[in-house]
Amino acid sequence: MSMPSIYKTLGTSVLMAGMAFGGSAAMAADAHLPGNVRVVIGSTSTGGDTYQNSSIVADALAKHLDINMKVDAVGASSAFRFLDRDPRGNTLMIFHDQSYLGNLYGVEGYSDIFDKYTIGPTVAINPGNAYLVPKDSPYQTLDDVIEAVGNGEEVRVAIQPGGVSEIGFSALKNAIALEHPGMEDNLVAVNTGSQADKNQQLFDGQADMINGTVQANEQYTRLPADDQKAMRFLWLTARESTIAQAPEDGLGQTTREQLLQYVEPNVTVPMGNGDNFTFDKEFFFLFNKDMDPAIVDQIDQALTEIYADGEIQETQKNAFFIPDFKPSDEAAEYLETKMSVYKDIITNIQ
Amino acid sequence: MLDILSLLDISFFLLAALGALVGIIFGAIPGMTATMAVAVCLPLTYALGLNHGLALLLGLYVGGISGGMVPAVLLNIPGTPSSITTTFDGYPMAQKGEGERALKVCVVASLVGGLLSAAVLFLFAPLLAEFSIKFSYVEKFLIILLALTVIASMSRNMLVGIFSGVLGIWLSLIGTYSISDGGNGHTRLMFDFLEPYLFDGFSLLPVLIGIFGIATILLEAEEGIKGGLGGKHVEFGKGSGFSFGLFKGRLTNLVRSSFIGTFVGMLPGVGGSAASVLAYTQEKNLARDSSEMGKGAPQGLIASESANNALTGGALIPLLSLGIPGDSTTAVLIGAFTLQGIQVGPLFIPENADTWYVMMTALVFANVVMFFLMFYAIKHIAKVVLVPKYILYPIIVMMCVVGAYAINYGIMFDVWTLLIFGVLGYLIQKVGLEVAPLIIGFILGGQAEVYFVKSLESFGTYSIFFTKSPIAVVLWLLIAASVAFSVIISLKGRAKRQAEAF
Amino acid sequence: MESGLSSLLSVSIDFETSHLFFPHIIHWLLGGLFALILVFNVVPFLVAVRRGEKTLPILGESMDKFRFFGTLALIAAYFYLMSVVGNLFPYTGYGFLFVSMPFLLLMSLMYMHTRTTRKVITAAINALVAPTLAWFILAKLFQITLP
Repeated sequence: MSMPSIYKTLGTSVLMAGMAFGGSAAMAADAHLPGNVRVVIGSTSTGGDTYQNSSIVADALAKHLDINMKVDAVGASSAFRFLDRDPRGNTLMIFHDQSYLGNLYGVEGYSDIFDKYTIGPTVAINPGNAYLVPKDSPYQTLDDVIEAVGNGEEVRVAIQPGGVSEIGFSALKNAIALEHPGMEDNLVAVNTGSQADKNQQLFDGQADMINGTVQANEQYTRLPADDQKAMRFLWLTARESTIAQAPEDGLGQTTREQLLQYVEPNVTVPMGNGDNFTFDKEFFFLFNKDMDPAIVDQIDQALTEIYADGEIQETQKNAFFIPDFKPSDEAAEYLETKMSVYKDIITNIQ
Repeated sequence: MLDILSLLDISFFLLAALGALVGIIFGAIPGMTATMAVAVCLPLTYALGLNHGLALLLGLYVGGISGGMVPAVLLNIPGTPSSITTTFDGYPMAQKGEGERALKVCVVASLVGGLLSAAVLFLFAPLLAEFSIKFSYVEKFLIILLALTVIASMSRNMLVGIFSGVLGIWLSLIGTYSISDGGNGHTRLMFDFLEPYLFDGFSLLPVLIGIFGIATILLEAEEGIKGGLGGKHVEFGKGSGFSFGLFKGRLTNLVRSSFIGTFVGMLPGVGGSAASVLAYTQEKNLARDSSEMGKGAPQGLIASESANNALTGGALIPLLSLGIPGDSTTAVLIGAFTLQGIQVGPLFIPENADTWYVMMTALVFANVVMFFLMFYAIKHIAKVVLVPKYILYPIIVMMCVVGAYAINYGIMFDVWTLLIFGVLGYLIQKVGLEVAPLIIGFILGGQAEVYFVKSLESFGTYSIFFTKSPIAVVLWLLIAASVAFSVIISLKGRAKRQAEAF
Repeated sequence: MESGLSSLLSVSIDFETSHLFFPHIIHWLLGGLFALILVFNVVPFLVAVRRGEKTLPILGESMDKFRFFGTLALIAAYFYLMSVVGNLFPYTGYGFLFVSMPFLLLMSLMYMHTRTTRKVITAAINALVAPTLAWFILAKLFQITLP
């Protein structure tokens, strides 16, 4: 940081210290975002997709509204607690589908977000959720897996339990239950943790298939077949329309065209109601229920303008996110419908 | 090669040096870690571009890991978790008035550890990555078990020491059996009303600085806060000075510890603190004379600091050749790569040769800068012990608060953890339990659980720990040797004390 | 024999209760070790106390009560007030800044054995400068969230 900007920062902070004493009462009267906003996220990692995506959005909002916004990776249970305690609008939360999937899977620390919070705008999709097998696996397609399990073969899938990583597994189990009733228990979850742990289970032969991401596993799919670490994509859970919006070059050296081979309708996981299962990991805001609705409007308004500008979409696409802005009301309705579909799947297989 | 040279300009080196400096400062503040330094500077890298950004971040990484030695030696507070074993010998030396000497030993050891691991990274990264994936839950559990055997060899009374260690493990299990480790997310070992606070358990860093920093202040307060920090009459600069002769006969230790550090760093999930603990154990077991370790022996500092700086190169191995972070700091580095649209994975090195050479240059340069910055600043830094306690202690408490609050990005309960463990640390020492084993149990307990339970879930039999692989057998031999050594050392010590008594 | 051993070693962990598996083992270990310590360390120690050879920890020792309990009370008040004040000015770090100043001063005064004007002024300057510097560098330059 250069010297003049230090002076500037110093100047502003002294000024702000003065204003905080004089003006905090006046600020509370107008309902709009306060000058210092903290965006808490449901992840503790500052290197992960939630943090990155939240930073992009928070930076754009802060610049647009000329306020301070800071993303803090406090993790899900702490983030919900911070949000519970602050109806003033100083604390906002950004998280993804885990926020309601955790509740559906009955994980401690997750309550019904549609009941407890105000759902804010969606901002982006991480299209990377994927299922992979070793390159020398006998399963060439997801249908092979469904068929094998239906014939009584045990297939072990390494996932992280209780959320985004499990939902595809649950859908697959549901599909097997529909096509080969009673055989679905041959699809076994190997509950494990980070991506490293899941990969390791595959290398060790303790799993036949793993949940992964395009971002983390793409290079593994390009290793020569004789490499113990080589993998192959079987299935991307994203909607076709989502992947279709990805940059044409795709990711690494796997093009969009290649990625499209692994999504519905090329790979199908039926849900029993005539539709095929898809899952997009979507990032959206969560607000305190008692926060002034005017603040929600202000954020919707600001994001509408930001997305109309078009610059944020470029930044998101560069980081392999698919822009997906929906204002609060629309987002709430959309996510609730999405949730109810997954709820059915999870109840079906229990 | 010429292409790469053109990427390295003056500002590249300035940024690496600046990173090292800022990193050292972060590391030196109790509670501020290399991870935090890298995380707060991450947004800057977007403006800097990939190569310059990496120079800054790697500087921060190396500096941050090294800076931890300063409060460990001078104040008995580990600045970063991996400098825990540095306190064992560093603080006793500082109390004898040898703070400057101790720090210089640490700096040299750090430089050697850092450079050796960088060399290993450069020459063998893909090969070692191949080796590291041979370590499954079973082998990782055995490594943790091996590190835990240090408890037996460093406790004053073996029974009490082991009890303290197990108590530490118990404390580490409070909270949920985390989903992110593949657990079922249920809480245990607490009352329902504590759940909002203890959901994620006690955080490591606040526990460390509470039990070391705050407890030390409480113990001193009980005595009425007397005299200067360095004990009765520290004549500064006197006593035995530093010379490179101190490293005579320590080469094996230096090299062994550096390799242990690199190796542990390269295993994803096995935390950095295990590296220095393991190196310390091995020095204690294998050195010809380890009787002074824990009372102020430079060899302990050498083991601890060379291992913890060797982590840097080690943790970059899986990052750059598997796309998997070796520790929490490299996990943040992944963010830096994705920000620049670069993927890390098994093909990173072949596909990004330029970036790879640039990173190696930055890593080596940052180590060298760290060395010169610290070696020549130490004389002044060590004077901290001359500051009167009535000024120093309030500042320590304040900085501990900042560190504890910031470690999980702003959680007040972490600050209260300081006080809880400060009081606990005070009580523990009063009733005669041992702090060091307890802390080591706490650091390693969580990993021990996950690796142990997950191994059994996969294989369904205890015998897997013996039959999984040749590596497992070798690890058992090491564990057996380590236990045998500590029994022998303890018996020798008892015989010596008896001989002296008569 | 072989099968007997392998069935002895075999174990099946139910995922739903797997969070209690390891803690159970640790409880047994802790209990066993505690019993041993009771027999080998605590009982002989208490006997020695009885004979007057040793004193009980904490209770039997002399302590500077004012400074010890003063430290505890000050730290507790410091932590508590910091979040209270911080909550008035959300995410500005003012809670940390404005509560640290009196805390530093009071703790310095408490730890001084003789209060000369010079010492008190040094402590006062320190109480003003140290928190301000920490706050400015961390909260402002590095944008780290403080209470």
